[in-house]
Amino acid sequence: MEKSFEDALKELEVIVKELESGNVELDGAIDKYTEAMKLAKYCSEKLNSATAKVNKILTENKELIDFEINE
Amino acid sequence: MEGNKYLKISDLNTYIKTMFDDNPYLKKVYLRGEISNFKNHTRGHLYFTLKDDTSRISAVMFYSNAVGITFAPEDGMNVLVEGRISCYPAQGTYQIYVDKMEPDGLGNLYIEFEKLKAKLAKEGLFSEIYKKPIPRIPKRIGIITAPTGAAIRDILSTIKRRFPICETILFPALVQGRDAAPDIVKQIKEADNGNYNLDVLIIGRGGGSIEDLWAFNEEIVARAIFEARVPIISAVGHEIDFTIADFVADMRAPTPTGAAEMAVPTISEINNMINSYEIRLNEFINNLLHKNKLRLDNVTNSYILKNPLSLYELKEQKLDNYIDTLNNYITKKLDNYNLIFHNLKDSYILKNPMNLFNLKKEKLTYCEKNLYTNINNIILKEEHNYQILINTLKLVNPLGILEKGYSLVTKDNNLIKDSSTLKEDDIINIKLHKGNVKAKVREVYYE
Repeated sequence: MEKSFEDALKELEVIVKELESGNVELDGAIDKYTEAMKLAKYCSEKLNSATAKVNKILTENKELIDFEINE
Repeated sequence: MEGNKYLKISDLNTYIKTMFDDNPYLKKVYLRGEISNFKNHTRGHLYFTLKDDTSRISAVMFYSNAVGITFAPEDGMNVLVEGRISCYPAQGTYQIYVDKMEPDGLGNLYIEFEKLKAKLAKEGLFSEIYKKPIPRIPKRIGIITAPTGAAIRDILSTIKRRFPICETILFPALVQGRDAAPDIVKQIKEADNGNYNLDVLIIGRGGGSIEDLWAFNEEIVARAIFEARVPIISAVGHEIDFTIADFVADMRAPTPTGAAEMAVPTISEINNMINSYEIRLNEFINNLLHKNKLRLDNVTNSYILKNPLSLYELKEQKLDNYIDTLNNYITKKLDNYNLIFHNLKDSYILKNPMNLFNLKKEKLTYCEKNLYTNINNIILKEEHNYQILINTLKLVNPLGILEKGYSLVTKDNNLIKDSSTLKEDDIINIKLHKGNVKAKVREVYYE
């Protein structure tokens, strides 16, 4: 399953903090850096290419259907 | 008299007062009206005017009654009062003497609000320790409000404008009228049942009168908000109105639009955040690489790696050091023993053994001489002692006594001390100092 934007961003945040804490070996740090940069790119792409989600409404029968504001 | 037809004003007013006081319909009157010209006298009596659309009446509420009221009356407040009508002769006015007063309508709601607020505050429902944090980047937002009207429109358009990738689920609810509170509670429980994976829940409606907003001041709504696990943003009414729901919610927004702004970030905020992460990552990795390169350079440039032979030289030198140390040690030890040996060899005794002999001989001679002297001394001393003893013995020697003229009588070698042991014609021996006498007993005298 594709990683959600929110999870990817959270992961990115965790890695940055971990690296900046200075407790990572060089090899590990480079791996983590590579991973983090991928995550950043992924988040960025996801964020800027994302199409607006359709709003939903819960019906009396507990079904979620599309919801449009009637102006 | 002409002047007699003129009444004193006080008499007239007193008379009119009795007319009021005697009228049974005016002894107990119930009025509904709005307070104006309200004045709280320092002595505790309340003076005000009650009015409706077309008329007004002065009112007084004495301290003894006023202490019983549970709200703060003020101008513009609609009240229900109970009292009697009478006249104040000094001013010629009639007024209502109020016994009881309570807020009418809105006022009652206000009291309920304050009571419930105090009760829930005491229970801790508003306490900061229960406030859940609102996630910064929500994936899915639940909204409880009416499906039509400004509130839902404002919320959805704000979310769409700021963070369109966020999903929304509307849980439609009545937000006005008698059924609104249970409906809102039902939808809170539905939204919070875990099936919808909501990151945050917005509960609200647009502004309105206090009656319109009343569902959000109901206790069941407050408790449902408090018990929900999902963080809740309340967005009720206008900015100045606080509802009980606002106090209980994890966050309070002044308007539905404000709630949506609190619930979601903007795309550009997140973009900035990602950019800053990238910058931090690059800074970090450049730093790290630079630091490690420096370390590597330090190591590769080190003297040892550049001059591997020097490693060998170093060992050689060390070996020499050890050998030197060892040699030094051995030489020193040998010198030590040599010295001891020479000392012994050169010693006086070894060089002059006769001395030792003479020394011993001298000592022997001395001992001999000493021995002789000592023996002589002992002999002399013992001789002297002997003489003393002899003399002492001489004193006690029975033979010595004979010398003084005494004599010893024996019979058959037994010394006779008692005449009763003798009888006539016994032969006895008498020993004198010089010589013995043998004699025969002629007569015995007994004692």
